[in-house]
Amino acid sequence: MFTAHGHGRGLRRGLAVGAAATLVGSLVAGCSGGADSGGAVEISYLVPNDATGVESAERLISAFEEAHPDIAVDLQTQPDGTEGDNLTKTKLATGEMEDVFVYNTGSLLQALNPDQTLTDLSDEEWVSHVSDDFLDTVRTDQGLYGAPTGSSFGGGILYNVPLYEELGLEVPETWDDFVANSETIARERPDVTPVLQAYGETWTAQMLILAAHGSVAQEDPGWAERFTAGEAKFAQEPALAGFEHLQEVHDAGLLNEDFASLTHDQALRQLAEGGAAHYPMLTNAAPAIAQNNPDELDDVGFFALPAADAEHTAATIWQPGAVYIPSSTTGEELEAAKTLVEFITSSPEACAIAQDTGVATGPYVIDTCPLEDGVPRMVEDLQTYVDEDRAEPALEFVSPVKGPNLENIAIEVGSGIRSAADGAAAYDEDVRKQAQQLGLSGW
Amino acid sequence: MRTLRLRRAAYGVLAIVVSVVVFLVPFAFIVLTASKTAPDASQLEFSLPQDWAFLDNLVEVVSYRDGIVLRAFVNSAVLTVLSVTAMVLLAAMVGYVTQRRRSWLNPVVDTMVLAGLIVPPAVVPTVWVLQRLELFKTLGGLVLIEVTFGLSFCILLFRAFVATIPRELDEAAILDGAGPVRLFWTMIVPLLRPVIITVVVVQAVAVFNDFTGPLYFLPGDENATVQLTLYNFQGQSLNQYNLLFMDILLITIPPLVLYVFFNRQIVAGMTNGALKG
Repeated sequence: MFTAHGHGRGLRRGLAVGAAATLVGSLVAGCSGGADSGGAVEISYLVPNDATGVESAERLISAFEEAHPDIAVDLQTQPDGTEGDNLTKTKLATGEMEDVFVYNTGSLLQALNPDQTLTDLSDEEWVSHVSDDFLDTVRTDQGLYGAPTGSSFGGGILYNVPLYEELGLEVPETWDDFVANSETIARERPDVTPVLQAYGETWTAQMLILAAHGSVAQEDPGWAERFTAGEAKFAQEPALAGFEHLQEVHDAGLLNEDFASLTHDQALRQLAEGGAAHYPMLTNAAPAIAQNNPDELDDVGFFALPAADAEHTAATIWQPGAVYIPSSTTGEELEAAKTLVEFITSSPEACAIAQDTGVATGPYVIDTCPLEDGVPRMVEDLQTYVDEDRAEPALEFVSPVKGPNLENIAIEVGSGIRSAADGAAAYDEDVRKQAQQLGLSGW
Repeated sequence: MRTLRLRRAAYGVLAIVVSVVVFLVPFAFIVLTASKTAPDASQLEFSLPQDWAFLDNLVEVVSYRDGIVLRAFVNSAVLTVLSVTAMVLLAAMVGYVTQRRRSWLNPVVDTMVLAGLIVPPAVVPTVWVLQRLELFKTLGGLVLIEVTFGLSFCILLFRAFVATIPRELDEAAILDGAGPVRLFWTMIVPLLRPVIITVVVVQAVAVFNDFTGPLYFLPGDENATVQLTLYNFQGQSLNQYNLLFMDILLITIPPLVLYVFFNRQIVAGMTNGALKG
């Protein structure tokens, strides 16, 4: 018994002791990881880790370090979406947030409790150059917290331009025109899907409702305010129209057959290649089309979701994300962080880099950075609406209330499971719960 | 007799077909998508690539952001080795002592082990503790967390296995003059081999695949682990499925190799000691 194991004994013990020593050694080494910066101020800059964001951030940092040799910037990334939201809150709660970080604007920002966790930037010089629509999304009663990064984007209908030219169709100004166009397409070109829906990715289902807000705001400028106060409802006109449109495209048989399972990328491909005519979507789909159908990027145009009355038809604008400084950053790091924020927001270098990397999705919200030529067709179309002043910010930027179940309800209405009136009432109920959680008065 | 053999063969073939569908088809999908160009991959179809871009994708993933994927492999490897080593050492000792020596401490230890299985981790307080110990954002801190979450399960396995080792063996060794330390290292540990392999494989895969632990307790790009790199290639409006699946393929290989080589021991170790509690 003993001899059988005897010859391996010493070796085994040696291994075990060695492993234990390594373990202890690593724990000790882990403790002593300190920072050393020689003279220059070192700050960190956090961006969500999608490929284009990282690429432009890297170029931005090298341009910034050239302009400000006394400041060194360390790039950090973290996941987007739910994990990113939770991680951001955790970092802010534990004082571990990077010195400058990119995050959403509007209602998601309010959830960060900005008055306690972020640094007020209202005295910065760039503020006067930024559009008020944007500033409203990064403000509370006590301060202004974010500087714009990236471009805005529009919501409405993306359409296939060659198909419209082939059939001699006009861009519709009213909802009835839109339905008439779709029916013409169904009649003349039976192989083409008139209206795409891609419920394989649930968030896409909300577009017909969210993009209808531009028209609602034109028709009734005080709607969003009364909605926040609990007076205006989705179950009443004009906001009910969004749900009605969703039901109508389904009931009229204008949708693709596989609307329940089609994915966003597949829908964009069909649209770009002429297999479909309309897709209610955001213009930030441009980079995906540029990657997957580069030759057809300019075959995809944009028009605002048509209202019942042509004079109310307006594009709905989503505001870009912003850069923030957490209140845990102080002293010379804070000064350096403010310099970086100013550089990201208003320097000509940053403007050039932004237009150079990736694909533009819409106009910039700062007047020092106009759109260059050579932007995708859909962005040009969107710019026309903005120039004509027929554009309104999306509801999520003018009201803190957004029910978490909108996508599910939209899918039910869009699949014919629920009627428009029923769906709108269900969403009002969803909104009521959210408003009560936020502690708003009047609910 | 003949029909019985035929039926057995039919069951065998059926089992093979099912395992092919369940395991090999998804794997083939990963390999095929990892070989496509970005526009081709965005269709997410089960088809041969139009152009084979396997090498291009591999180079792009590996060289992305100064080799963050390679750095992540090093971090994950160090994290996994250290955590699993600590778990095996501690759990073997605890399992042996609590099984052999009955005392008033046993109920306390049992409660703690159960609590370790039941109590969910709370992120922010854990971060506070790590900050105070100056272990936050260090690999050592995350090793301690992984060990904490995995230890209970390991202790249960070890204790069940030690019960199958006859007490007479301990007594014989003690009569021959072995002290407690020598008894444990030279007698018991070699006999624990099957369960050690099980624990190593099961926990190595769990630690290697952990996503939320590194996400919350080890932020920072220089600390990235492999599961976190997956997020480099997907976003809400733009997905690079070819690179994403290449990354998945790279990450799948180490656990796969582990299972292929140790498959038999894992099953043996899991069932060993299952009869005697």
